[in-house]
Amino acid sequence: MVVTRVEVTPKQGQGMRDVRGDSIRRQLLSDHSVSATEVRSIVGFLIKSDISEEEIATRSDDLFTDPIIETGFINTLAMSNSEIFPTSPDCVITIGFKPGVTDNPGKAAVDGFHTIFPQAKDAEISTYITYAFYGLPSDCDSQWLAGTIYNGLIQRALVSDSAACANGNWPEIEFPERPLQVFTTPKRVNLEISDAELEELSYTGLLALNLEEMQTIQGHYRDDATRNIREAIGISPDAPTDVELECLAQTWSEHCKHKIFASKIHHVDTETGEDTIIDSIFKTHIMNPTHDMQKDVDWLLSVFHDNSGVIAWDDDWSICMKAETHNSPSALDPYGGAMTGIVGVNRDILGTGLGARPIANTDVFCFGPPDWEGDLPDNLFHPSRVLRGVHAGVRVGGNESGIPTVNGAIVFDDRYIGKPLVYCGTIGIMPRRLADGRESHIKTPTSGDIVYMVGGRVGYDGIHGATFSSLELTEESPSSAVQIGDPITQKKMVDMILEARDSGLITCITDNGAGGLSSSIGEMAEYTNGCEIDLAKVPLKQAGLSAWEILVSESQERMTVAVKEEDRAAFDALAALHEVEATAVAIFTATGYFHVKYNEMTVAYLPIEFLHDGVPQLQLESEWKPPQLEPFSVPAQSDHNDLLLRMLARPNITSKETWVRQYDHEVIAQTVIKPFVGVERDGPGDAGLIAPIHGNPHGIVVSCGIAPRYSDIDAGAMAAASIDEAVRNAVCVGVDVDKIAGLDNFCWPDPIESVKTPDGRFKLAQLVRANRELERVCRAYRLPCVSGKDSMKNDYGSGEGKISIPPTLLFSLFGDHPDVRYTATSDLKGAGERIYLVGTSKQELGASEIAFMLKESGEAGGIGGEVPQLIDPESQLDTYRALSKTIQNGLVRTAHDCSEGGIAVAVAEMCIGGRCGAFIDIDGTGSGDLWGRMWGESLGRIVIGVSAGNEADFVEAMAGHPITLLGISTVGSTLSITDGYDELVELPVEQLVTSWQGTLDLTGGVA
Amino acid sequence: MVDTPKVAVLFGFGINCDHETKAVFDLVGGQATRVHVNHFINGNRSLDEFHILAVPGGFSFGDHLGSGRLLGNRMRFALREQLHAFVAAGKPIIGICNGFQVLVKTGLLPGPAAGQDPLPDFVQRASLTLNDSGRYEDRWVTLEFDSNSPCIWTKGITRIDCPVRHGEGKFVLPDSTDFDMLAANNQLTVRYVDPATENGEGISDELLPFPLSPNGSMRNIAGVCDATGLVFGLMPHPEAVYAKWLHPDHTRNTAPGPESSDVLGEWEGEGLQIFRNAVDYVKANL
Repeated sequence: MVVTRVEVTPKQGQGMRDVRGDSIRRQLLSDHSVSATEVRSIVGFLIKSDISEEEIATRSDDLFTDPIIETGFINTLAMSNSEIFPTSPDCVITIGFKPGVTDNPGKAAVDGFHTIFPQAKDAEISTYITYAFYGLPSDCDSQWLAGTIYNGLIQRALVSDSAACANGNWPEIEFPERPLQVFTTPKRVNLEISDAELEELSYTGLLALNLEEMQTIQGHYRDDATRNIREAIGISPDAPTDVELECLAQTWSEHCKHKIFASKIHHVDTETGEDTIIDSIFKTHIMNPTHDMQKDVDWLLSVFHDNSGVIAWDDDWSICMKAETHNSPSALDPYGGAMTGIVGVNRDILGTGLGARPIANTDVFCFGPPDWEGDLPDNLFHPSRVLRGVHAGVRVGGNESGIPTVNGAIVFDDRYIGKPLVYCGTIGIMPRRLADGRESHIKTPTSGDIVYMVGGRVGYDGIHGATFSSLELTEESPSSAVQIGDPITQKKMVDMILEARDSGLITCITDNGAGGLSSSIGEMAEYTNGCEIDLAKVPLKQAGLSAWEILVSESQERMTVAVKEEDRAAFDALAALHEVEATAVAIFTATGYFHVKYNEMTVAYLPIEFLHDGVPQLQLESEWKPPQLEPFSVPAQSDHNDLLLRMLARPNITSKETWVRQYDHEVIAQTVIKPFVGVERDGPGDAGLIAPIHGNPHGIVVSCGIAPRYSDIDAGAMAAASIDEAVRNAVCVGVDVDKIAGLDNFCWPDPIESVKTPDGRFKLAQLVRANRELERVCRAYRLPCVSGKDSMKNDYGSGEGKISIPPTLLFSLFGDHPDVRYTATSDLKGAGERIYLVGTSKQELGASEIAFMLKESGEAGGIGGEVPQLIDPESQLDTYRALSKTIQNGLVRTAHDCSEGGIAVAVAEMCIGGRCGAFIDIDGTGSGDLWGRMWGESLGRIVIGVSAGNEADFVEAMAGHPITLLGISTVGSTLSITDGYDELVELPVEQLVTSWQGTLDLTGGVA
Repeated sequence: MVDTPKVAVLFGFGINCDHETKAVFDLVGGQATRVHVNHFINGNRSLDEFHILAVPGGFSFGDHLGSGRLLGNRMRFALREQLHAFVAAGKPIIGICNGFQVLVKTGLLPGPAAGQDPLPDFVQRASLTLNDSGRYEDRWVTLEFDSNSPCIWTKGITRIDCPVRHGEGKFVLPDSTDFDMLAANNQLTVRYVDPATENGEGISDELLPFPLSPNGSMRNIAGVCDATGLVFGLMPHPEAVYAKWLHPDHTRNTAPGPESSDVLGEWEGEGLQIFRNAVDYVKANL
């Protein structure tokens, strides 16, 4: 094998440009205010094969170089060609992958190489990119510059500074050879050690198990019956193998077992004197309410136990939804972490029932402020870089998978610097019944079924993700927990699996996510009560992985699929057609054991019951003391014009259009309401609305709610606000409020009291209050939670510099829409629309956006006070139902959620979308004072517009519900807001647009 | 006479608009089938079974090594004779977005110059490269069609709105004389235009500013056809506006499109006519 180098650079002149280089130039300017006159780019390929340099050279234009737009070089560095690069740059940086890191262009290049050289079976290709910088400021350090564009965790960078450039010394990166991995025979791990040593073993082995859990494992191997059985099967009788210990650690991880939500909590409320025991907040507050609702409706098909929750949508189709977080990986490598987040949750949908098709994505991110100028703890990226990386990862993951991103949000708070939150959600659709008559939401495995691993191979990447995410982030967090997704490998797998489903070949399917094969096969084995795996059959990315590594590796793009013996040939043929690797690695049994072999050697033999139900219940302490906060007091003098312009520019309110527009939100030709709406397609959309069956206007609404800052006052109010916001957004497009389902995704700081977490009792009390409100509001809204997830260790560091995120609940909603032809958007529909407030404004400015803004600027002392509450959700639901009906019957075509920034921001956004003015009077809109009615964030409020002709019908339809005429849209282009006779705002709409759109346009322009 | 034209809609390797592309042909009287590319390459199926070939949008092979390149190569080397015979038999081919990129990289578009043998010679003459903005974007654009184009897909259509969703949509040719030759033969079938211009008067060679032209395409080209008029490719997605409810102005009651149609009543979107044109062409000519 020889390595041949091919380099390719864009041609110059005649309308051609180097877009890759120019993007780097603009990013440098936007993020670091460093100006370069020009940046040029070179893409490099290192081809390791038996094909000679000459042969590659003759076919280079067929594969590596596009002769119309590029110039190629074989085994010579492009930089050294003085015709193409006539002047010497100030700095040249070459960035390539570290060994073993997923190189998607490289994989694609190998595929293309095989098309041209079919004989080159063993070819490997590694790619890299080189940037040449011209006209840099003289004080710009080359190493610093490299640090802004590569991530040392996964990439290598070679740098030529100006001196090297002057001498013609260019970076020459070599093929990233993987270090040799040596297979180590499974080891016996002695657990007959002291408690301190057990804890040490858990800590150093990244097992993330507590002492009681380690002791429970220890106890298992002390049992005589266990020892006899193990002796007979030929595995260490009195101690676990490393394979078993790793397998238990993954299966029992907080990530997989949700131990905090399942714990027994002693809860004390110092305000009310309550002193009580809660046996699992999950069962008490989430599962029980949903199961109660399941008795009343016929459309809840599958809740909680599968990879996503499934509801019946019509007679032919069911739909499902799942949301996940990928916070820790995204902190270490924002791009790879977020990409694996989105493609990972897609697999949850594919692994639902007998396989659902992902048809829409949602993305919600929580970041530190993009303009942060304070200190950054070691090992953490600047929020703007996290934003760029996460966005790019989700963009590539979603777009290349052909799944539209239809809804989302970006939230900013200083504390998310410690841990960004990356929520990714996916909606799926599947036929109610397959051709063979089976209901597609029910898995049908039987003992004897063959278990395939389908898709990608197993590598060293992605070991310990589940346990790692159950620990706080530290400077030593392992890089093996970071991966880059491969959406095309996954897309091929999705195509193949959906064909297999429709052909009736699948009896059981699940995703390989956290915990790898140990979790996926282990969970499926519960159906038949046993399985036997042969790890030696698992295809590997590189030889030498040890048995435990194969079992727990979380390498991406893999599904585990069970197939009947007689269907294997058909399944194999489909895999071959789609060029997807599918390997039989296990068989379902009814032995009661999770039996893992490596060839003939038994390396793990664990009772299914112990594996899944053996983890001891945590006992936790919770104590609620209301936080003491300085109340928000309004400034003596205020210019509401100025306040409105500043509010519109706040990161939490400002337009995210430049980012969102980079997601494909319309593939599949079903998206009725886009993320941005209105005359210029730049007003905010409230909820996603899709009509996935072509030619049929039956719709699905997708929305979300998130209000983390209310947790500063009360996490219970935070939860209620999140749920109400999700419902409100859905009502704005005319959802059928009697057929909605929700997903609860909790992200919390560690709520277990310990030396590291002295305030654990308080954080757990916040969790208790949030869940109690979740139950109260969901029961009142008849809104079943059908799936959810929690991520409970969102802290950075410990002690003095510890950063804990604000307790955050993302509530996602999907629901039915009877007919998408009758829906509403937030943009005012031209002059003469009557504008109404539905709902009432109370004096609730605590933790509001205006309070945070004025506290940050020093104009107000604190953010405390009354946080928005949902006092009477039952009657609120009636109001929502009435309003939604006016949208469904075509009376109302304009509706907008009223949340951050209150009525002032809501009507400003409606003017922006409609590019027209409005005259608004907030007098009589509720019990709040001017500030409460103008800027307050009381729940349950929606601003609507109705044509003059429909006004009377609208008022009649809303009889008995709180509505107030706010004003009218106008021919002019000015927004006027008054409070009775007091003029508050008088601003041209174009000025609103400018303020609203400026903050987050970090693109550095388009030209 | 063909009553129900059979349409092969390619999928596999990252193509992802196959479902909606099949749906639009079915809506206008075709009988469309999603066929994995490998079925044609392996010889399980033959292009000969079909009357129309559609290469839908997507991200074949992740756009690595240039959008459309790797899928284009698979087709160029394995399906050469079948594709040549398909066009020679007078059967229409459309490539949308990634499909357009594939047709350009295989050399099917723009194809041999007018006056030469117009059948495919599989020589790449043009390219589609990264948008000037450096960004993949999903945004709505206004398109106008050359009414004199030989393209059978676009007859009778003047202007439509539809979304673009690409990162590599800048159409380039090595030389401005290449453009002049295509223009002379009316092969520059569809261009991005300023919606403020009069219907039928929007086409201009002068580079439009972003975002009217979303990618900096030379001469604002959104799509081209070959000299036979049978092979057509474009970056924007007409299938994505098969119904008015998919148009962003539909809640404003101003979504453009026919007042009535046999398939969606008053709700037919502007994009559907392109697919109806090809189905009708096959019915009338094959």
